[in-house]
Amino acid sequence: MGKTVFIKDTAITGKDRTRDFYGVFLGTLREKGLENEVQLVRVADIGIYGQGMTVRVLPENFLYTNVQENDIPAIVQDSVVGGRPVEGKASAQPSKQLRIVLRNCGVIDPESIEDYIARDGYQALAKVLTEYTPEKVAQEIKNSGLRGRGGAGFPTGLKWDITRKAQGDQKYIICNGDEGDPGAYMDRSVLEGDPHSVIEGMTIGAYAIGASKGYFYIRAEYPLAIERIEKAMRQCHERGILGNGILGSSFNFDLEIRLGAGAFVCGEETALIASIEGKRGYPSPRPPFPSIKGLWGRPTCINNVETLANIPVIVMKGGAWFAGIGTETSKGTKVFAVTGKVKNSGLVEVPMGTAVEDVVYGICGGAMAGKNVKAIQTGGPSGGVIPKEFFQTKVDYESLQKMGSIMGSGGMIVMDEDDCMVDIAKFYLGFCVDESCGKCAPCRIGGTQMLKLLVKVTDGEGTQKDLDQLEQISFAMQKASLCGLGQTAPNPVLSTLHYYRAEYDAHVDKKKCPACKCAKLVRFMIMSEKCVKCGMCFKACPVGAISGNRESGYLIDQTKCIRCGQCFEVCKPRAISRG
Amino acid sequence: MIKMTKKDLDATKQKYAEADRNWIKVGFSTCGIAAGAKEVYDTLVEESRKHSADVEIKKCGCVGMCSAEPLVEVHVKNMPTVFYGKVDKEVATKIMEKHVCGKMLVNDKIYDLKLN
Repeated sequence: MGKTVFIKDTAITGKDRTRDFYGVFLGTLREKGLENEVQLVRVADIGIYGQGMTVRVLPENFLYTNVQENDIPAIVQDSVVGGRPVEGKASAQPSKQLRIVLRNCGVIDPESIEDYIARDGYQALAKVLTEYTPEKVAQEIKNSGLRGRGGAGFPTGLKWDITRKAQGDQKYIICNGDEGDPGAYMDRSVLEGDPHSVIEGMTIGAYAIGASKGYFYIRAEYPLAIERIEKAMRQCHERGILGNGILGSSFNFDLEIRLGAGAFVCGEETALIASIEGKRGYPSPRPPFPSIKGLWGRPTCINNVETLANIPVIVMKGGAWFAGIGTETSKGTKVFAVTGKVKNSGLVEVPMGTAVEDVVYGICGGAMAGKNVKAIQTGGPSGGVIPKEFFQTKVDYESLQKMGSIMGSGGMIVMDEDDCMVDIAKFYLGFCVDESCGKCAPCRIGGTQMLKLLVKVTDGEGTQKDLDQLEQISFAMQKASLCGLGQTAPNPVLSTLHYYRAEYDAHVDKKKCPACKCAKLVRFMIMSEKCVKCGMCFKACPVGAISGNRESGYLIDQTKCIRCGQCFEVCKPRAISRG
Repeated sequence: MIKMTKKDLDATKQKYAEADRNWIKVGFSTCGIAAGAKEVYDTLVEESRKHSADVEIKKCGCVGMCSAEPLVEVHVKNMPTVFYGKVDKEVATKIMEKHVCGKMLVNDKIYDLKLN
């Protein structure tokens, strides 16, 4: 393979100097007569951020960051010609992903079972059916330390063992693909990108617990995921991987798909079971747990999509291998859907115990140009915020809980300095109020009252007493709600109150929104001494609240202004004040 | 309907194992399709016919970098395997002409992802 050199200016602020640097580098190559043997390429993203000019030499993969022009001759001489790193200059790739769940996503054609089989697909199932007893499968998963990836983190092996030991003429396994957290979509991606791995994981689970029937519960908003799962199931049926006598053994197992109608509460296991039974998606008190008395009163095991996608790899490589990844209590990897005000949004799979900053800055590149990250929100509407001062926090079940957040299904929403924390709490609480099923009073009434108080605060009519009451209702909801939805709905409020009390106080005492987000507390004004009368704000205003002309200057009519901030964004000389 | 056994699995595995040949993978999950993967795929297929290029074009799932979709991964023998991000019709044409046929990487469009 010939030499290839990637270059990219990774500085976050300022002009992108990649092109200038490209010219200089090419000049050096020409001097040595190498321009035809070496491919010099400007890349759009080199996977490293905020480290100046970065150069990567392939195929050896020597990496140089903060490269200056006078470093170029040494890089060309040593690495390009000599094939060795420049002493004292080469750096290592800072953070790395580890892909277990996403091992096949983007690698195989999800609609081709042959592609999956070529990547060791269904080997784990064959191994289990020929070499393992159901006890041994459950034991292997127990050894791995795998915990449920849906949020609560219950040990999967233990769940299988309990369901296996439960008495019942018929047992069921359910795959929970009712992914409802705002900003989380890793389950969809796995179902769309690697449907067979979930089917294989489920079949292994069914063998372990002694189930002959399984259900996929997927939300109807995921049409492509449903289509691909259906196709994958058909391919399995045609090849005897599902149905009677799987892979020539005496084990029978079949699958069916049930569509969720988009109710958030149906991701809760008892409500999900009610929904599959054809009833209204109401949660019911536990115990009895579904493992003992679940679908149609029979022992039922419910696992998350991501959990199941881990299973085939654990069986093939052994529980001990999996247990070697991650932290003391949280094993393996976790997929995060990093979204919000972040440079590279997308899915990231990292070993448990990776620091939050490595995910946000290292892999995803931090905030958009010119802004600063303020905090992240994990766990969706059941989770809490982690301010950037605590970004060395490790991602595992216990550490996140200690910070007042939760792992949840793995949504990670990045917020920057323009986000108001009271507004964020209001958004999540509003989501839970909309999605509350209304069965129990603490959630139904408590949520609505809390939302009213938050609206009062963001409208500038709140008092300190309201903040105290917010806390009181939160504790009542946590204690008295029937299911996880109500118990965790106040978490975003409590966590923002804890970390950003000053912002709440500013809303209440000074009637100001520090992030200038809350429409009723912010006011835009044109500072005539700075204004260059360009008329950009006049054109940008969507409601015609700005009047004037290029001679006399412009004025904002506060009664018409909807505080959208568009004029503020377009004003080049920064002549519009906000506050 | 066939009844596969472990032996059949192994045989299929061997038959379909990735031989070292040229391939292009287009991210075809919801994120990719929404960003325009269909047009990119069609363009690639059309261009490969035009150039009678020796390359297999496949549809795949989402590799994770959703902000850079449509993502196209290109593997050409004796060249580094790379991802092109935010690919449109024009870039897809360039990938086929320059990268696959001309053995030259396309500037300014590579996303150098380190996934494992």
